[in-house]
Amino acid sequence: MQEKEPILKVEDLHFTYNGEKTALNGVDLNIYEGEKIAVLGSNGAGKSTFFLNINGVLKSHHGDIYYRGEKITKKNLNDLRKNVGIVFQDADNQIIASTVMAEVSFGPMNLKLPKKEVISRVDKALEYMNISEFKDRPPHYLSGGEKKRVSIADIIAMESEVIIFDEPTAALDPLNAAMLEEVLQKMGDEGRTMLISTHDVDFAYRWAERVIVFCHGKIIADDTPLAVFKQEDILKQANLKHPMMFDVYDILKEKGIVPDGDVYPKNIAEFQAMVKGL
Amino acid sequence: MKEKKKRFKHEHGSSFSVDYYAYASHMRSWNAGFKVLFSIISLLICIACNNLFVSLAVIFFMGFLTVAVGGLDLHHYITMLLVPIVFLIFGTIAIAIGFSMRPVGQYHVHFLNLFYIYWSKASLLKAGGLVFKALGAVSALYMMTLTTPLSEIIAVLRKAHIPKLIIELMNMIYRYIFIMIDTHSRMKNSAESRLGYCDFKTSCYSFGQVASNLLVVSLKRGNNYYNALEARCYDGDLRFLEEEKPLKAGQIVMAVIFIVVLLLIWFFTR
Repeated sequence: MQEKEPILKVEDLHFTYNGEKTALNGVDLNIYEGEKIAVLGSNGAGKSTFFLNINGVLKSHHGDIYYRGEKITKKNLNDLRKNVGIVFQDADNQIIASTVMAEVSFGPMNLKLPKKEVISRVDKALEYMNISEFKDRPPHYLSGGEKKRVSIADIIAMESEVIIFDEPTAALDPLNAAMLEEVLQKMGDEGRTMLISTHDVDFAYRWAERVIVFCHGKIIADDTPLAVFKQEDILKQANLKHPMMFDVYDILKEKGIVPDGDVYPKNIAEFQAMVKGL
Repeated sequence: MKEKKKRFKHEHGSSFSVDYYAYASHMRSWNAGFKVLFSIISLLICIACNNLFVSLAVIFFMGFLTVAVGGLDLHHYITMLLVPIVFLIFGTIAIAIGFSMRPVGQYHVHFLNLFYIYWSKASLLKAGGLVFKALGAVSALYMMTLTTPLSEIIAVLRKAHIPKLIIELMNMIYRYIFIMIDTHSRMKNSAESRLGYCDFKTSCYSFGQVASNLLVVSLKRGNNYYNALEARCYDGDLRFLEEEKPLKAGQIVMAVIFIVVLLLIWFFTR
């Protein structure tokens, strides 16, 4: 896997707001095709700033970003924006058009695609997110969950290679959160490259293949979920908790109920399978 | 105070509902350009003919379109029309009646032994004609606004080559006004929950606080929006896909017949 060329390569990225508040302090990261990455870290650790940097909205003060081996400069900045899409945390901060269709078409229209292509992409994205029926609806007549789906369709219509979700489950009710996770699972199965920032360690643990932990503008851990959640000092530094399944397994192991095999169950189904054999 | 508050809330609701009625109208599937053009032509004819019967025809047909074809509740429609009707009646009183120190005019009444209020049949007819003419014009515009969502009206204006700056401003204002109302109501609720509106003085203070906070939040949000725009390759032009609604032959025939009928009415009652 490591021999492959990364889609996105970030080298020693520094960023400060207004020359005072340091938000990113030397970030190095390689993102490979098809990876499902969960980005953890407390509020203000630099996750959102990092996302805006690798999308090209914010310009770093120091450090380079390479997209498919090509260094990003002012000239090819739009390549970066085209291929790295962000679904913002607050859908109301992202939706600008006055109908759902117009909103989803905004990205493709900016890519200067022919009208036919725009229409087909919009239809496809709406169908993918299951919101075709809201096509003509103004955004202020949508519920929170529906708005979230529109904001995801926005990015799907752009057919970005890397999709970033900034705390997608924040402010969603359980039903919508479950629906969102289904979509994320589906997108992951299709081999899309995704980065998701979240505070939900359980979700990160069961969904991600790789976990990155931000703390004070730096990446302090970058490994598989299992390896990250085993490092107590890292968790303490970033104020993270163990995933529930992780703790349950540890307790059972301590009691000698399950064999000590280091095969941590990721979700209820895996846990059930493990317990069934006993 | 309580009464006043209630009324204010009602008005607040009705400004919202115009947008909702347009969205829910059965005539939304009609071509927006056609509706705009038809309403403007009807409006112009109604004003140019200056004829009571033409005005009445416009009022009834536009009401018919909005209520029967568009599916808007008749009660809602009349409630919405009452606003301009009240204005019109008050506005035309001055035309219908006059004041004088001496008993003049066709009819007059002595008022408080001070002056005379006088009027004539002609002045009443003139005022009535004016009310109906204005009402015809208003109902033609109501037909347009109550059946066409603003986004489509903006699209028509774009096609009419209105400057891009105005079009984009209209688009953004339309989108953000709802967010601002929403944010404001949330701030107001939170202030109210902490007794921020318990008496007049506190209300004034809270109002100021909410207003200034709204400005700060707006600026901050503006920044976020700009980021979100940039993230999707925004390059200075807001481009959206506009749905094309086919123009139906039946609708054109209907419009032409209506206009011809209006002209005939005018011709025979001249």
